[in-house]
Amino acid sequence: MESSSFLLLMSCRLLLAFTPIPLTNDLQRDHQLSSPLTSYSRLKEGLWFYQHDVDPYAGGVFRHSPLLLSLFSAVLPPVPVVWALSDMVGAWALVRIWRARQRVNKGPSSRDSLVAAAYLLNPYLLLPSLALSTSTFENAFVLLALMLASDGRRSPALLALAFSTHLSVSTFLLVLPVLMLLVTSSVSQLASPHPFTGSTWTAYQYAGEFAAYWLVLFGAASVMAGSGWGWVHETWGASLTLPDLTPNPGLWWYFFTEMFDHFRPFFLMVFSVHLVIYILPICIKFQHDALYASFLLVGILGIFKAYLSLADPGLFLSMFVLFPEVYPYLRYPIVTTLLHTHASLLLPIFHALWVTEGRGNANFYYAASLVMGVAGGAGVVDACFAGLRIAMGDIAQGERGKWEVVQE
Amino acid sequence: MNHPVPTTTNHGLKEPQKLCFETARTRRLVLGSYWTIIILAFPFWWNLTSIERIALPSYRVRAQLDRKPVFPVSVRLDASSFQGSAPTLGRALHEILAQTAQASPRWRNLDIQVGVSEHAGDQSEGPNVYSVVLGNHTAVRHPRQVVVSQEDASSTLRLGNILSSLLAPEVTSMQAQRIAQYAKRYRLAFTLLNENAASPHLVNSWDIQTALAGKFFRFIYHVFPIISRLDVLHNFTVESQVQYHAPLAFEPLQFAVANNTLHGLTPEDLTVFINSAEWTLSSSVSNDPVLHFVLFIPSPAQQPLHILDAHGLPTRQNAFLLPQWGGIFILNRHARAATMTHLTAADLVPVFSAFANQLSALLGVPPLPDGMMSEESSLLSDWQLDALLRYRTSENMLGSQQTLYSIIKLVDQIENMPVDQKVRGDVHDALTALGEAYRSAMGSPATALRWSSEALSLASHAFFNPGMLALLYFPAEHKYAVYTPLFASVSVPLIVALGREVYGWRRERQVVRSG
Amino acid sequence: MGRKTAAFVLSLFVAPVISSTSNSSDSKPRFSIAGERYHEDLIIQPLRDGRVISTFTFTTLLEGVSPRDPWELETPAQHYTLFPLTLGQILREYSITELHLSLNAGKWNYDNWGYPEDPSVSTGAELWAWMADGGPMSIDERWTSLRNALAGLFCASLGSLDSRRTSSPYSAFPLSSVSSLKISFQYALRHATLPSEHVCTENLTPFLKLLPCKSHTGLARLLNPQRLFDADWHGLGVHVLSTDRGLELRLGVQAVLDPVRESGGKRRDWSFQSLFDRSIDAACPVSSRSTARVVIPDDDGYRLSPELLLGDKSMAIYDLTSQVPLDISMLWPNEHPFPFPPTHTGPLAPLSIKRALHGFSQTHGVLSVALSNNEYGDITIGYLETLPALVTLWMHTIKAEVRGTQRDDLISDISYHPSLLQSNGRYGPSVLQVRLTVPAKSALRLSIDITKTFLKYTEHPPDAMRGWDLPPAVLFPVLIDGPVKYMVNDSFVDGIGTRDRHRTIPHRMYTPTLLVDLPTPDFSMPYNVIILSCTLVTLIFGSIFNLLTRKWAIVKVEE
Repeated sequence: MESSSFLLLMSCRLLLAFTPIPLTNDLQRDHQLSSPLTSYSRLKEGLWFYQHDVDPYAGGVFRHSPLLLSLFSAVLPPVPVVWALSDMVGAWALVRIWRARQRVNKGPSSRDSLVAAAYLLNPYLLLPSLALSTSTFENAFVLLALMLASDGRRSPALLALAFSTHLSVSTFLLVLPVLMLLVTSSVSQLASPHPFTGSTWTAYQYAGEFAAYWLVLFGAASVMAGSGWGWVHETWGASLTLPDLTPNPGLWWYFFTEMFDHFRPFFLMVFSVHLVIYILPICIKFQHDALYASFLLVGILGIFKAYLSLADPGLFLSMFVLFPEVYPYLRYPIVTTLLHTHASLLLPIFHALWVTEGRGNANFYYAASLVMGVAGGAGVVDACFAGLRIAMGDIAQGERGKWEVVQE
Repeated sequence: MNHPVPTTTNHGLKEPQKLCFETARTRRLVLGSYWTIIILAFPFWWNLTSIERIALPSYRVRAQLDRKPVFPVSVRLDASSFQGSAPTLGRALHEILAQTAQASPRWRNLDIQVGVSEHAGDQSEGPNVYSVVLGNHTAVRHPRQVVVSQEDASSTLRLGNILSSLLAPEVTSMQAQRIAQYAKRYRLAFTLLNENAASPHLVNSWDIQTALAGKFFRFIYHVFPIISRLDVLHNFTVESQVQYHAPLAFEPLQFAVANNTLHGLTPEDLTVFINSAEWTLSSSVSNDPVLHFVLFIPSPAQQPLHILDAHGLPTRQNAFLLPQWGGIFILNRHARAATMTHLTAADLVPVFSAFANQLSALLGVPPLPDGMMSEESSLLSDWQLDALLRYRTSENMLGSQQTLYSIIKLVDQIENMPVDQKVRGDVHDALTALGEAYRSAMGSPATALRWSSEALSLASHAFFNPGMLALLYFPAEHKYAVYTPLFASVSVPLIVALGREVYGWRRERQVVRSG
Repeated sequence: MGRKTAAFVLSLFVAPVISSTSNSSDSKPRFSIAGERYHEDLIIQPLRDGRVISTFTFTTLLEGVSPRDPWELETPAQHYTLFPLTLGQILREYSITELHLSLNAGKWNYDNWGYPEDPSVSTGAELWAWMADGGPMSIDERWTSLRNALAGLFCASLGSLDSRRTSSPYSAFPLSSVSSLKISFQYALRHATLPSEHVCTENLTPFLKLLPCKSHTGLARLLNPQRLFDADWHGLGVHVLSTDRGLELRLGVQAVLDPVRESGGKRRDWSFQSLFDRSIDAACPVSSRSTARVVIPDDDGYRLSPELLLGDKSMAIYDLTSQVPLDISMLWPNEHPFPFPPTHTGPLAPLSIKRALHGFSQTHGVLSVALSNNEYGDITIGYLETLPALVTLWMHTIKAEVRGTQRDDLISDISYHPSLLQSNGRYGPSVLQVRLTVPAKSALRLSIDITKTFLKYTEHPPDAMRGWDLPPAVLFPVLIDGPVKYMVNDSFVDGIGTRDRHRTIPHRMYTPTLLVDLPTPDFSMPYNVIILSCTLVTLIFGSIFNLLTRKWAIVKVEE
C-alpha cells in the first residue's frame, strides 16, 4: 500500500510527539507560531475556566471554538500526540488529494512520500504543530474537506468543511471552491480549460446540506459554550473586530495598533471585505479547476487573514506540491523562495529584538511582517499567473525567444 | 509597446482568444463580481464613517428670535372710591403707565390697561388684575391691592408714579448687577467664621436653625419667610458650618478715634475680603449656584472692625454685599458678651435680618417705593412678587432664545460637529417650553416662569451636551491622508478596466450594428 | 459573580437608628456642641532601628446621624459645627455608608515597623466605599460622582479610579459595623487603587482644612508639610464609619520619620521640635479630648521629657488641655553613637511578604509572591490580587511551592473573575482571590504566569516608556474552619481556630506595588503604517486583478 518512506515519515512525526523538545514553553508563546485564536496556553486557560465554573469566553482570553473546548474537556486531554495525529491526518489527506488529482486509485505513487514530506517537514507547519497551536487542526480539516471533495464524497466533505469554518471563520472563503470541486472533477484541467461543467443545481443542494451541517454544529457549539451567544463574538467576532493586538506575521495588527480610532471600524470593514472580494473572481476565472481556485484562496488567506500565524502561509506552500504541472510556468520561483527565507529569518530575529530584548522597536517587526506579506503576495501572484499561463502551452522548439506571452 | 500579431505564425502556442477563461463573458463576470462587492460595501462605508448630524429645527428657532412675551396687566380703579372722576383718571393713568413701561427696556413687555371696577379686590377676574382704592395712608394690601391716601390720589401724576413704581419698578444698574443669575435651585451657605479660635472671643456655636426661621420674634425680616414666599421662583437648600480659624488675607487699616483704636475696611478691602485660599465655604458637590452668607467675627486684636466709606471714615454699616456672590456681616463682640461661646437666636437677629435683606437684593426682589407700607402679613407683597416673576420670566425667555440661536449657529458653522438625538430632543423640548411660556404669560406669571425656566435649562443642557464636542477638531485633510493610500491606488485599475470593458462593449455593438 | 451581585443583604443583628439631628444643647464638661464631638490623638512609637512612627488621629462624631436613605429625595437643611461641611455634603449626596480613602507614599515595611495603627497603607491612592443600594442613582453613578467629588476636595487624581480599576472585593474590605445598618437595604462595595498617585502638600492642605482647628492649634500644629513629606513613609487617611453612636469621621496622618538619618547616623534622640520643626503651643479649643501618647521602648536607657504624669510601663500619656505648650522629647544619653541596629530580632509581623515580577521579556512574566511565616503555627489568610486589564493572569499556571516542592493543597477557595468588557468599552480589572495556608516557619511561594497586553497607540499614556503601576495585592484575615466569607473587622484576633497552631492575621496587609513596562508601538508611525500597509495590499490586489481581467496575448519579440 503505502510506500515505506511515507510510513517512516509518519512514524517520525508520531515519535516527535513523545520526544521532549527543548524550549517548548518558548515555542508555545511564540507570536509567529500561534495567534490569540490558536494559542495553546489560551486553550489551557479556557479549559481551566471551564473546570472552575468561570465563563471561558469572559475576559477576552479564550477565543477557541467551543468544539475544541468540549473535545479537550470531555474526550481527550490536550496532549502533543493529538497534534501529531492531526498532522498525520493532514499529510494523509494531502497525499490522497494528490492521488485523486492524478487519478491514481490504487497503490502507492512515486510522489507520495514527497507530498507527505512537503506537509510534515514544512517548518511553517511543523513548528506551529510543535507549539501545539490549534491551527494544526484547522489545516487538517481544510485538507480533509478538499480530499473528501476530490474523492467526491459529498456528505463527509461538507461536514469537514463545516468543522473547518467553525474552527476558523475565515475558511468561509473556501466554501464556494469546495462546492465547485464536489460537482466537478479534481483532475488537473489547467492545461485544457473548459467552461464550468458541473450542475449548478446540485451545487445549490450541496450548499443547502453544508448550511444544515453548519447550523447543527452551531447549535451544538452554543450548547457547549453554555452562556448564550457570547462565544460568537469572542471567537469569530475577533477575526472581524481585532480586539487583541498581539503581533503576528500578518498585516492587520500593526495597522490597527496605529489606526486612528475614528477610522478603525471602517478599515476593519475594508480589510474583511477585501478578503471576500477575491472569492468570486478567482472561482470564475478558474472554473475549470476548482482545486486550483481553493489553492489560490488558501494563499490569499495566508497573506491577509486577521490573526495570521506561520501555519497559514505554510498550508499554501505545502499545497504547491499538488500542482507540479505549473512549475515550468512560474516566473520568479527563486525570488519567492528567497523572500520567504528572508521573512522567516527576519521575523523571529526582529521579534526577539523588540519584545524579548527590548532593544529594537515595533517597526522592526512590522518591517519583517511586510516582507512576509511581499513573500506571500509573490507566491500567490506567481501561482495565479502560472495557473493561467499553462493553458497556452509551450512555445514550439524552434520559435523560442521569438515569441512571448503577455497580458495586454 | 508590442502589438498582438495575427496568429497565423506557427509558434506552437494555443490561441489565448480561444481559451474558455479568455471569453469576454468570463472577463466581464470577473470585473462585475469585483464591482458588486465594492458597491455592496458602500453602505457600510457610509455607516461607519459618517458623523451623526440630526437636523435641528433651525427655522423654528429663528422664528422664536423675534417673539416677545406680552404680560397683560389690568389696573382697576375702585368706582366707589374715585366716584365720577374714575374714567378720566383711568385714561390719564393709562397714558402715564404706558409711557413709563415703554421707556424702560425691562418692562416693555407690559400691556397695562386701566379700568374702573365696582368690586375692587375681587380676584375672580384673574391673576393680573390690580385694584386701587382710597384710604387713610398709602400701602399695599393682599390681594393685589394698593390703598392710596387722599393726598397721593389728588395728583394724577403722583398716582401714576406710585403705580408705575409698583408695576414696573425701576432698577438701577448697580442693583441689577447684584442680582444672581436665575437658577431653579440655589444653595444658601451660612458660615460662622472666627478669625482666630485661640481668642477668648471664640464663638463655637450658633443657634442658626432658630435664627433662620425667626419664629421667636416679631422681627419679620428673616430668611425662611422670604424663602417660602419665593418658592414659586426657586427651590432652596440650606447649609451651615462653623470655622474656627479664618484669617483675612490682608491686614485691616488701623486708626485711632477718641482714644480708641479702631480697625477699618476700605471699599477696596471689601472686594478682596473673601480669603478663598483659606476658607472652605462650600463644596462642589452639586452644580447649583451657591449664595454665601458669612458671619465674620474678627479676632480681638482687630476689634472693633468697621467698614469705611470712600473718605476713610467709619460708617455705621456692619454688613456688605458682594454682587452675585452673597453677603457678609461683621460682628464685633462687646466686652460684656465676649466670653459667651454661643450665639443665641436673639444675638443673631441683626445678623439674619441683614442676611435676609441681602438675600432679597441678590435674588432681585424689587423694594417697595419709598414711603410705601405693607399691610400684608407676608414679607413680600403680591406686587413685588409679580414684578419679580415677570422680570425673571422675560429674562429667562431671552436667555433661552439666545442659547438656542447659538446652538443653531454653531452647528451650521462647524460641519464636523455631531448632533445626536439627545440634542435635538432638548432643542425641541426647549422650543415647546418656550411656546408654553409665551402662552401662559398672558395668564399666570408663575406658570410662565416655570415654563421659561424649563426652556432655559433645556436649552443650556443641549448647548453643553458633551457629544457635540467629540469631533470638533477633525480636519478634512486628515481624512484624505487616511483614505488616499488605499483607495486611490486600488480604484485606478478598477476604473480603467471598467472603462476599457465599456468601450470594448460599445465598439462590439457598433460592429454588430454596422455588420 | 459580577459586581452587581456583590451587594448582599445584611441579615445580621441590625438596629436601625432614627436620625435626630439637633439635640437640645445639654451641657457637657469642658466643651459641648450639640450633637457633635471632636477629639484628637497622637501615638509616637520609637522603633528599634531608630525610626519613629507617628500616628495622628482626628475624630469627629456626628451623634445620632445615620447615612442618608438613598430613596430620600428632598434635601433638608444641613447644619454642621465641627464636622466639615464639604465632606458631609459629599457623604450625604451619595448616601455613603462607609468610606475609606488613603493617600500614601512609600512602602510600609511590616518586618521592621510592625503593623500600622491604620491598616490602610497601600502605596498610592486607595478608595473604597460601601453604599446602600436603591434610589434614583445607581451604585456605579454614585461611585463615579463620589470619586470626582473627592478628587476635587483633596486635589488628587481620584477621577482616574474608573471602571478599569474598580472591583468589589467584599471579603477583604468588609463593612466595619453592621449593627448600625438598616436591614431593608442591600449594601454594595466599590474599591479602587491608584498606585501611581503621589501624595504631596497639595493633598495635605485641603486635608487640614477639614479639621476644626486646621493646623493652627492642637496636634495638627505638628503637621509640618516639609517634615512630613520628607519622611520615609507618610500617608493621609480619611475614614468615615457608621457606628451605633452616629457618623464617625476619622482623619489620620501616619509618618515614619528617621531621626537617625537627620542626625547623620549618630543618634536616635527625637523631640517634636526635631521631628516636626514645631511644638504645640495651644490645644484646639473645640476638642473634647487631646492626647499625645508615647510607646515606651523595650530597651532601657532612654529619658523622656516632660516627666511622665499619666500612663503605665508601656505607654506615656500627655493631655494637651493641661500641658501646653508641649514638646515631648526622648533621649538616649548614653548612646555614642546609636548602635544600628541595636539587636537583631526577627520580623515584627507574623508574615513577611515579597512580591515580584520575574521574566525579562516585554510580553511574558511570572508574578511571584513569597510569604514567609515567622510564627510557630500555620497561618491562613485570604489573598487578593486586582490587576488592570493590561496584564493577563494565566490561571492554569497558578502553583504554590514550599521549599522547592509543589504544594497546591495550600491553595484553596480559588475565585477568579477575568476582566470583563464594561459598557463604556473598557475592560475592568481581573480579580483573583484565594485562600492560602502558610506552614509554620516556612515560606510559601505562589506563582502565576502573566502576559502583558498590546495596546493601541492611542491607549498609551504620554509617558508610555515609564511603565504602568500594578496595584498592591492584599492579604486579609479569613474565618478559619470555613470558606472565605464576609466578616466583621477586628473579630479575628489570634487563635480563633484550633488553638495557637492555626491562625490568621489581625488586619489587612498590603504587598508592594509593581511596575510593568508594556511593549510600545512607534508613536510617530500612523501615517507611515497606513501608507506602507495599504501599498502592499494594493500591490497584491492590483496584480491579481490584472491577472484575472487583462487579455492574454502572444507577441513577437522585436529584435
